[in-house]
Amino acid sequence: MNVGGIELLKLRENLWEIPKTGKMNVPGRIYISHRMIEKNLSNDEALKQVANVAQLPGIQRYSLAMPDIHWGYGFPIGGVAATDSDNGVISPGGVGYDINCGVRLATTNLEYNSVQKRIDKLVNKLFSTVPTGVGAKGAIKKLSTTDLKKVLSQGSSWAVEHNLGSAEDVSFTEESGTLKNADPSLVSDRAYERGADQVGTLGSGNHFLEIDVVEEIYDAETAEIFGMFKGQIAVQIHTGSRGLGYQVCDDYLKILLKASNKYAFDLPDKQLACAPIKSQEGQDYLSAMQAAANFAWNNRQVIMHLAKKVFKDTFKQSDSELDFKLVYDVCHNIAKIEKHKVNGNYKEVCVHRKGATRAFPPNSKMIPEKYRTVGQPVLIPGDMGRYSFVAVGTEKAMEETFGSSCHGAGRNLSRKKALKNAKGKNLVEELKQKGIVVQAKGYRTIAEEMPGAYKDVSEVVDVMHNEGITKKVAKLRPIGVIKG
Amino acid sequence: MTRNIKFVDHIADIAVDLEADSLEELFKAASEAYKISVTDFDCHNLSDFMEIEITGNSKEELLVNFLNEINFFLTTKEWLCCSIESIKIISDENSLELSAELSGVKLNSEIELKQEIKSVTYHQMMIEEKNKFYTTRIVFDI
Repeated sequence: MNVGGIELLKLRENLWEIPKTGKMNVPGRIYISHRMIEKNLSNDEALKQVANVAQLPGIQRYSLAMPDIHWGYGFPIGGVAATDSDNGVISPGGVGYDINCGVRLATTNLEYNSVQKRIDKLVNKLFSTVPTGVGAKGAIKKLSTTDLKKVLSQGSSWAVEHNLGSAEDVSFTEESGTLKNADPSLVSDRAYERGADQVGTLGSGNHFLEIDVVEEIYDAETAEIFGMFKGQIAVQIHTGSRGLGYQVCDDYLKILLKASNKYAFDLPDKQLACAPIKSQEGQDYLSAMQAAANFAWNNRQVIMHLAKKVFKDTFKQSDSELDFKLVYDVCHNIAKIEKHKVNGNYKEVCVHRKGATRAFPPNSKMIPEKYRTVGQPVLIPGDMGRYSFVAVGTEKAMEETFGSSCHGAGRNLSRKKALKNAKGKNLVEELKQKGIVVQAKGYRTIAEEMPGAYKDVSEVVDVMHNEGITKKVAKLRPIGVIKG
Repeated sequence: MTRNIKFVDHIADIAVDLEADSLEELFKAASEAYKISVTDFDCHNLSDFMEIEITGNSKEELLVNFLNEINFFLTTKEWLCCSIESIKIISDENSLELSAELSGVKLNSEIELKQEIKSVTYHQMMIEEKNKFYTTRIVFDI
């Protein structure tokens, strides 16, 4: 079929290929259903972006896209590309402005019935404790540059050192919450200034803190290992590296634009600016990006600690009674050096995941020991009115997608259209009728983020489930949401 | 002095098409579009001024750097740029240089911010000159 001038060949029910043509170094491959192509991609530049990414020097096997694909900057959102770590490039366009935007999921011992009666109070307390919205700041004392440098080096461990988390939290975070080659000296003064007061803040846009109930279990054995049961209360946190990360991306986009000229790369889009991974420019970006990623892990860790405290105070429970513990924390905007099988041999590659989640299989040494019999938890949030999913990584993800899966729903309506559709409605009341209490800085955010503004995340999750890339474990239903 | 600003529908972020009768006016239009994107606040009696100097290797890079500077003032210095009092762009073979005087206001309780702009992107940005009119699209990542 032809979609917006891009030829798509059907390989399997939910797998399509853009044949290698012109300057493409590899073919493109998109995991998506026929229905979703027609519905979501006919007026979108995302497929062209998949083909553009295929032109990156050193790209291996395929330029990939997950079913939540939509247009981004340089890479599409939902794009995955692995480049040869010796001869390939690294591109900020494959990571995004919000470096290490990600999701963490924590569970509690509480059940729906005991929380339902106090949900208003709980949401209100969370809203007043976790700073949200444009320019949110002041969750904890403003950090000095010296302290902020430690955050950038240590990631989540900084929070643990400052009694804002536990060693167990760190062990259930992707990369244990710290990328070791982070170099805070490669982060600009401007980035420090933007991030100094933002540790422990959600920010605005699609970022959220959500109280969920585990509504359905699809895989009882895996759910048990993840510590999840039907009716259980859980908490999801979705945010990233805030202003610090945005500034790192800006700073290095400038540097890599120059590098692209220096190395004479013929690129189809400025947002694909890149440098050889082994070059000084490439190494500097990698180290600065890792520092911003560490900021993000620490950010989500601090928010989780604040949320846990609110739960303890609201329900007057001790640590052991509440058992508020981290299931996992995943990043979905990142580039990482990993070993993958390419043409029958293992080699080191730089996996760019831009709006895509790592989905490592059972027995991977990169995941917590507790999960090695089943695989890595993959967290896929939906919109605030319907549901989110917990899935698990598989061996097939390693074989086909460099161990990657989808990351969310993706927007269905522009903010302008969402605002128009919300006119005359009382969305807060409508959601309350559905058993969901929402609090945000302003009604505008609720309108822009209304459930109808997003695609149905279950369609996205089902594509990856049916293709065997990730398997569904549990479905979460929101009962309380705070937004920026 | 002519400048036109037209916001266009974008699924996730903010996109705007600009048109002006000089490069300087195009940059003024861009700063206006930025301000409209972040707040509905009506600026008046401005007495706070700031001078900036920005460089870029192309017109597009200069525009991105210019808008990111304004965004930095808002997100970090809590200073909203309301208008451009004066602006001059000079170019040589390899680069362009912008100097401008901005007028604005320190954030206060009367100013409600609608959006946080993460950054100004190069996506679909192409400054073109046709029949003495400069045009471009700008996409703000929010």
